[in-house]
Amino acid sequence: MGEVIVITSGKGGVGKTTTTANIGIGLAQSGKKVVVIDTDLGLRNLDVVMGLENRIVYNLVDVIEGSCRMKQALIRDKRFPDLYLLPSAQTKDKTSVSPEQMQKLVSELRSDFDYIFLDCPAGIEQGFQNAIAGADRAIVVTTPEVSAIRDADRIIGLLETRGIKKNELLINRLRIDMVRRGDMMSVEDVSEILAIDLLGVIPDDEQVVIATNQGEPIVGSDSLSGRAYSNVCRRILGEEIPIPDFTKSDGFFHRFTQLFHKN
Amino acid sequence: MSTASVQIAKDRLKALLGADRMQCTPDITEKLSADLYHILSKYMEISREHFNIQITRSDIHIKYTGENN
Repeated sequence: MGEVIVITSGKGGVGKTTTTANIGIGLAQSGKKVVVIDTDLGLRNLDVVMGLENRIVYNLVDVIEGSCRMKQALIRDKRFPDLYLLPSAQTKDKTSVSPEQMQKLVSELRSDFDYIFLDCPAGIEQGFQNAIAGADRAIVVTTPEVSAIRDADRIIGLLETRGIKKNELLINRLRIDMVRRGDMMSVEDVSEILAIDLLGVIPDDEQVVIATNQGEPIVGSDSLSGRAYSNVCRRILGEEIPIPDFTKSDGFFHRFTQLFHKN
Repeated sequence: MSTASVQIAKDRLKALLGADRMQCTPDITEKLSADLYHILSKYMEISREHFNIQITRSDIHIKYTGENN
């Protein structure tokens, strides 16, 4: 039976979709059978980040309304062994699907996949309620900013209220140089405030923008963020990979930030 | 040199989350802290500067010694 994981944040623009794509791809690269579902009705994005926008025929709403079979709507990503995308609808609005329908759709996929990832829309309205309806666990994405952390806190409270107990934190776009000079909250600061288990830290990396421009994955690449996403995937698979100390004065990350200072 | 902005961010967040979690203002949190201090001081020797409360999503933690954590 597959595991259903919702990727959520409250605030928009913190990296939910990029995270969904790269975790999905990373796990597929490790031989897992994965489906990623875009649940943001009306604002379809996951297909673009994954470079699959030209292959959409049917979407999530078509499956739910019975206009097509699940198999027809699932897009197989030819670059990876067992990765599928269920795209969102660009024209429907968020009220065209109910939490019960989402739950049913997700449970249908459980027997065919190892991991089912739901890319949640921003906000705490119906789109959010739909996305979390069928989820076993959640990955809460935040950036080290006051507004994003505040929203993440709210989301964690709502997830707990809905009975989703396994909620893990992913801190995105950490600027190591800024943390070092005391102008950005550190991994410790953010984890202490939100007080849930830390799944990973993705350093701010322009390679993410470049990869997204091209519709290519960053996970598995030889870059700071690529390695960080690979570590997140290995932790999801149950491996014990320590979170690097991003502010320590020795080691790789220090040398990396030193490079920044020279420039 | 100006103060590092991290401390400002953390202080603002603490006020915000306290308010969000309790659905009350930092002002009420302060009053609650004062009342709890008053009650505890009836039963044990504590000092105001070492007393503080911390509100999480499901608990209220009371610290009443000078020890860290």
